[in-house]
Amino acid sequence: MDIVQQAPILMILCPFLGAFAVSLAGLIQRRWCYPLTVLFTAGSAYAGLGTLIQVLRTEGGVIRYRMGGWEPPFGIEFRLDALNAAIALMVVVVALLVAIYSRQTVASETAGKEGHFYTLFLLLTVGVLGISMTGDAFNLYVFLEISSLSSYALIAMGRGRAAFSCFNYIIMGTIGASFYLLGVGYLYIKTGSLNMTDIARILQEHGLYSSNSVRIGFLFILIGVWIKMAFVPLHRWLPNAYTFAPSTTSCLVAPLMTKVSIYVMIRIMFSVFNPEFVFGVGPRSDLVVWLAVIAMMVGSFYALAKNKLKMMLAYLVIAEVGYMVGGAWLANATGLTGAIFHILADGLMTLALFLAAGAIYYKRKSYNIVATKGLFGKMPFTMGAFAIAALSMIGIPPTCGFFSKWYLISGGIEAGHWGFVVGLLTSSMVNAVLFFRILERAYFEKPELPYEPGRQGKNALNFVERKGVDEAPLTMLAPLWAASLGLVLLGVYSGVVIDFISRYVNSVGFQ
Amino acid sequence: MKTIGLLSVLFTGILLMIAVVDFPDWGDPHSPANSYLSTHYIEDVEEETAVPNMVTAVLADYRAFDTMLETSVVFVAGIAIFAILRSIDGTSLAGTTRRLQRRGRSKKEKRKGQGRNRRDEMVAAAEREAAKPDLIVQTTVRLLMPTIQLFALYVIAHGHHSPGGGFQGGVILAAGLILVAMSFGLENTLAQVPEKLSLQLGNLGVLIFAGTGVLCLLLGANFLDYHVLAAIYPATDEIMARSHSMLVVEIGVGFTVMSMLYLIYANLSSHGDLKKGL
Repeated sequence: MDIVQQAPILMILCPFLGAFAVSLAGLIQRRWCYPLTVLFTAGSAYAGLGTLIQVLRTEGGVIRYRMGGWEPPFGIEFRLDALNAAIALMVVVVALLVAIYSRQTVASETAGKEGHFYTLFLLLTVGVLGISMTGDAFNLYVFLEISSLSSYALIAMGRGRAAFSCFNYIIMGTIGASFYLLGVGYLYIKTGSLNMTDIARILQEHGLYSSNSVRIGFLFILIGVWIKMAFVPLHRWLPNAYTFAPSTTSCLVAPLMTKVSIYVMIRIMFSVFNPEFVFGVGPRSDLVVWLAVIAMMVGSFYALAKNKLKMMLAYLVIAEVGYMVGGAWLANATGLTGAIFHILADGLMTLALFLAAGAIYYKRKSYNIVATKGLFGKMPFTMGAFAIAALSMIGIPPTCGFFSKWYLISGGIEAGHWGFVVGLLTSSMVNAVLFFRILERAYFEKPELPYEPGRQGKNALNFVERKGVDEAPLTMLAPLWAASLGLVLLGVYSGVVIDFISRYVNSVGFQ
Repeated sequence: MKTIGLLSVLFTGILLMIAVVDFPDWGDPHSPANSYLSTHYIEDVEEETAVPNMVTAVLADYRAFDTMLETSVVFVAGIAIFAILRSIDGTSLAGTTRRLQRRGRSKKEKRKGQGRNRRDEMVAAAEREAAKPDLIVQTTVRLLMPTIQLFALYVIAHGHHSPGGGFQGGVILAAGLILVAMSFGLENTLAQVPEKLSLQLGNLGVLIFAGTGVLCLLLGANFLDYHVLAAIYPATDEIMARSHSMLVVEIGVGFTVMSMLYLIYANLSSHGDLKKGL
């Protein structure tokens, strides 16, 4: 077995086989689940690194892996190029960090069901990873199914309103997946192929771009992924689902699901179809950009109105989706580069913020913003990492948030879409207000004391007060800091990453 | 809100109709779906895989990766139901179910025994009546069970030669188990086929499928590239190895589908406490 050639499949197989190993181990001894999960995600991350290096070294920058050894249009293939190699690596790194982080939170929030939790955790990783690697439109749907089903279950395992908000998500998610499948079905009827590269070739050769069913198929796929990524006005399911989920779940789902859907949108727009078709006969592109502006505004201002940390972050996810969709629909190379870079940057930012929110909840037993008062004294490391992530979210150099926004804004100016530029700047300002509101409280105010136990109500704080520094455990801090430092590193080395991404963007062929 | 819903449904419906106009004719031999990939599958399937049932060949060989993942979708569905419904400490998360069991009375009323009316008593009596074992049903099930299981095994084993396969056979097996659970009571059935065993079988099924693929990897081919397995099967050439491997993976699919459907039934019918089923 040539281990280097097999790296892409090993990347998927590690968490896939791991899921069943964990499931079986959970029947015998629940303590084994955590180390096994970390082990298998680490293996996957290692294989991911190998895959990325292979993509960098290959001439042309594309590696293809044939399942079952069959030629692509007949069998299924994994296709990794400059667009998805980095995204796939980001997915496994996020999964690894969350796996390390999950030790205490899973034990406390889903006690007795660790085996099932970690099984679903790994299968969600498989699903998201597969979406980002496959080169087959139907195979992508199967992965979409795995990731959605496991995320429904992981969200519904939360307490309180989790089950109900998850039900909303199930309905919306299923509608989204059906639209995607319908769209792929239309493309199959017209082209007879399911392989993305092959569909693109047939569309080109047979001149099918003017066909109504191809256009409507494209529209259905778009609507499907827009529902999946919670693009305004299809976003209502997201905030509650992410807020009431167990904190490990939201740490895993928030950075991955929406970002990967955006990847799918970009892949379909530019690899299956081409810019000429998308911006020529698709839905009016500036209309979509205006929707993206609305998404930024809705996300940012709703976030400003929330006093629950996690709810606030969930709305910010919606705003970020607006950035990326807008960037991709600006119809120029700079905007698309910004959007792709922002997928990576936003994955890490969202991860860091949700990890920090989970750590705060673990110690303070509340997501209320009041609970962050004076936290710099109590939890200096958590808050330090939170501050870095917040700065990146606002877009302050040298964090990567600055660079992706730079490209997005330049793209907006290039396209002459001033609404997008102003919207993005406004949204960044709102982010600044939002985060400095928290950081100020955490730095200047005195820590809140727990109210007497038993007191109920909105602002009840029922944590155990300890003297001095009261920091989250190391297994939570290490991934949090890794994510925050990753943000800075991604910012410092943004030139290298952008060079890599532009290999794909240049191959798209904008006029 | 209702108007918006109606409008979006109308809009989608109109789009669907516009798209249909553009479709190739029904059964048109020259349509892309019928003339591009299908031709290859139909003409070369026997030579390439030695399997006469081309549907199975596409499902379990050309697109085996999809099928492996679909099997794990069934597995995820089972685990998901399990993770949400199954009560570990006797308290079920499904609050609505419990409220239904209390017939809409609050906890306090239930404790005091208030709010109980004649309808409740009638329902309770009907439930007691329904819980009694029924001789005719049980005898019929006893007679049917071996036939059902034998047929299921045939469907699985013969899947690559005639219509059938792991999914279908697994569903028939699960239907047999559910039939037993409905006529003999869930607890009796769980004593025969315990929860833990079915979970293990569910895992085993996908592991058989994925394991076949990993074996191919270890023998130096790509994942799920069955032809190298000729080295393991006795007296087989590379083409027959594909046919045999399809049987192996179908058996895996059968295991997972059977045990997961059975578990889903057990959890759903007993509100997750696996005590009293339907």
